[in-house]
Amino acid sequence: MIDVRGLTKRYGDVLAVDGLTFAVRPGEVTGFLGPNGAGKSTTLRMILGLDAANSGTATVNGRPYAEQPAPLKAVGALLDPGAVLPSRTAYHHLLGLAAGNGIPRGRVDDVLAEVGLENVGRRRAGTFSLGMRQRLGIAAALLGDPPVLVFDEPLNGLDPEGIVWIRSLMRRMAAEGRAVLMSSHLMSEMELTADHLIVIGRGRLIADMTMKAFIEAHSDREVLVRSPQITELRRMLATAVNVRTDGPDGLLVTGLEPAEIGALAAAGDVELHELTARQVSLEQAFMDLTRDAQEFRTERAETAETPEKAEKAERLESAEKPDKAETEAGR
Amino acid sequence: MSRMATRARVRVTRTQLRARGGAPARWRRPRRSSAAPKPTGRASFRHCLHAEWIKIRTMRSTLYVVLGTLAFCVGLAALNGTSAGTEYADMTAADQATFDPLAVSLRGYLLAQIALGLLGGLVITAEYGARTIVGTLTSVPHRGRVLAAKAVVLVGVVLPVGLLVSLAGFLVGQASLAGADAPHLGLSEGLAQRGIWGGGLYLALAALFGLAIGTVIRSTTATVTTLFGVMLIVQAFAPALPGAVGDWVSKYWPPIAGGQIITGYRDPALLDPWAGFTVMAGCVAVLLTVAFVVFRKRDA
Repeated sequence: MIDVRGLTKRYGDVLAVDGLTFAVRPGEVTGFLGPNGAGKSTTLRMILGLDAANSGTATVNGRPYAEQPAPLKAVGALLDPGAVLPSRTAYHHLLGLAAGNGIPRGRVDDVLAEVGLENVGRRRAGTFSLGMRQRLGIAAALLGDPPVLVFDEPLNGLDPEGIVWIRSLMRRMAAEGRAVLMSSHLMSEMELTADHLIVIGRGRLIADMTMKAFIEAHSDREVLVRSPQITELRRMLATAVNVRTDGPDGLLVTGLEPAEIGALAAAGDVELHELTARQVSLEQAFMDLTRDAQEFRTERAETAETPEKAEKAERLESAEKPDKAETEAGR
Repeated sequence: MSRMATRARVRVTRTQLRARGGAPARWRRPRRSSAAPKPTGRASFRHCLHAEWIKIRTMRSTLYVVLGTLAFCVGLAALNGTSAGTEYADMTAADQATFDPLAVSLRGYLLAQIALGLLGGLVITAEYGARTIVGTLTSVPHRGRVLAAKAVVLVGVVLPVGLLVSLAGFLVGQASLAGADAPHLGLSEGLAQRGIWGGGLYLALAALFGLAIGTVIRSTTATVTTLFGVMLIVQAFAPALPGAVGDWVSKYWPPIAGGQIITGYRDPALLDPWAGFTVMAGCVAVLLTVAFVVFRKRDA
C-alpha cells in the first residue's frame, strides 16, 4: 500500500503540495481527483522518488521508493505516456526498463501481449498513436507484476474500447489484491472504476472517503415530482430548501426525501404522476463541491451562515485560495 | 499465499459490498497470488549496466556517430597525408624540422572529439528530450548508479571506437605520406603507439566530458553548442587572446592540453603529452563529480 504523511512540496513561494496525508489500500481502486494544478502529478512524482519532498514522507509497503530492492516489482507507474524515444522499438523500450530490475526478457513479450501490442512490439515507438503509447506505458507499469500500481491520467487518448479495457484492467488488478491509484479528469469513468476517492485542491486534502460517501456528502439529492396540480404542489413544498420547475408539470425538489413529498401530497390531496429520486453523479458532486466554495464568498458579506457550514466552506476555500483565507482570517 | 493477500481479499469483499450495495456482478475472487509479496531479486549495478547497454545500442544516433566519426577520421587522414606529403618537398628546412607526421594522420580527432562528446551527451540528454528519464529513474532510483552505469557503458562503446579511429587514421595517413615520399612512421614506433593509444583514450575522455555537460544542462542543443565552444572555438581564438592569457589558455585549456597526446613535435611552450592528458582527465573528473552531485540533488 501507499502511505503518504504530511507530504509537502514548495516551488519558490508556491506550496504545490501542502501537508498531504492519505493511504492507498490494497484491493481497491483509489481515484485521485483535483482540478488542474491541484498538485496531483507532483504528489505522484514524490511517491515515486522523482521529486524530493520538502517535508513529510511517502512510502510504498513501508519503504521509501528509493529503498525498494527492485522498484518495478514493488510499484508499477504510468506517468507520461509520451516518454519514449521515438527511434526505439516498443520491445527495446520495455527491455531496457526490465533489465534495470533483473526482470527476465520473456516478461516483455508477456506484457506486450497483455496490453494488446504484441504485433507492433518491433515497431518504433515514434510511429505509435497516443492510445498505443498509453498501452505501452501501462505495459511498462505491469513489467514487474507489482502489488501497487500508479496511473496518472491513463485514459487520455484512448478510444471507447480502450477506456473500457482500462476500466476492466483496473478492476481486475484491484480484485487481485493490488493497490491501484489512478488520477483522471473523466468523472464518469472514475465513478465506474474507483471504490475510494482522494480529492485534493491547491495541494491540500479535501476529501478521503468511499465513492458512495463522497457523492452523498457533497451533493444535494434531487427529487423529481410531476403532478397535474403543479401550482398547489409548489405551494405545499415551500418548506423545501430548493424547488425548481422542470417542464410544465414537473418540480425538482432538494431537501426533502421522496417519502416526505409523497406524504405531503397525499395529505394535501394532490395527484402525483411521477416521484423519482435522481441519481447524483460524481461529476455533479465534484462540481457542487467547487460551487459551494465559490458561493460562500459572495454570500458571506450579506447573511450570517450557521457556524458549521461556515467552517466547512472556510476549509474548502482555504484549500482553494490559501492567501485569501489568510487575509480574511487576519481581519 | 501469505497473510497480506488474505487480508487483501477480505478488504476487496468488504469494499465491494459497501461501494456497490452488495451487487455481486462486480465482485470477483482474487485469481492469483501475484499481489502477495514474492521473493524479489535485489536490483544491482550489473542490472543497471545491462539496461544502459540496451539503451545505448538501441539509440539510432550511436551507430550514426560511430560510422560518421570513423569515415571522417580516415578520410581526413588520407587527404591530409597526401597534401602534407606533397608540400613537404617545398618546405623550408625549419618547417621540415617541425614536420609532424603523427599529428597529420590523427588530426581528425578535432571533429571526432565533438562527435563522441555529443554521443556522451546524448546518452542523457536524449532521455531528458524524450522524457524517458522518468522511466529510467523509476526503474533505478539510485541516481548515482544510473550515471555511473551510463559512464561505464559509454566508455565501453567509445574507447574501442576511439582506438579504432586512431589506428585507422594512423595507418591511412602514414600510407598517404609514404605514397608522397614524405617522412612517415611505422606502427611499432613508440611515438605511434603513444599517439594511437593516447588518441583513443582522449576521445573516451571527450565522451565523458559530453556526458558530464549533458547531465548538468540536460539539453542536446546546448550540449552541442558547448562542445563546439569548448573544444574548437577556444582553440581557434587562443592565439588572438592577449599575451599572457593567450599563452596560458594555449598551454592549460584542457582540450588543447589533452590534444598534445596526438602530436609528435614537442613545442616547449606547451605541456608534455601525458601531462596535458592529465589536465584533460582532471577536468573531466571534476565535471563528472559536479554532474553526479547535480543529478542526485535535482528533481527529475
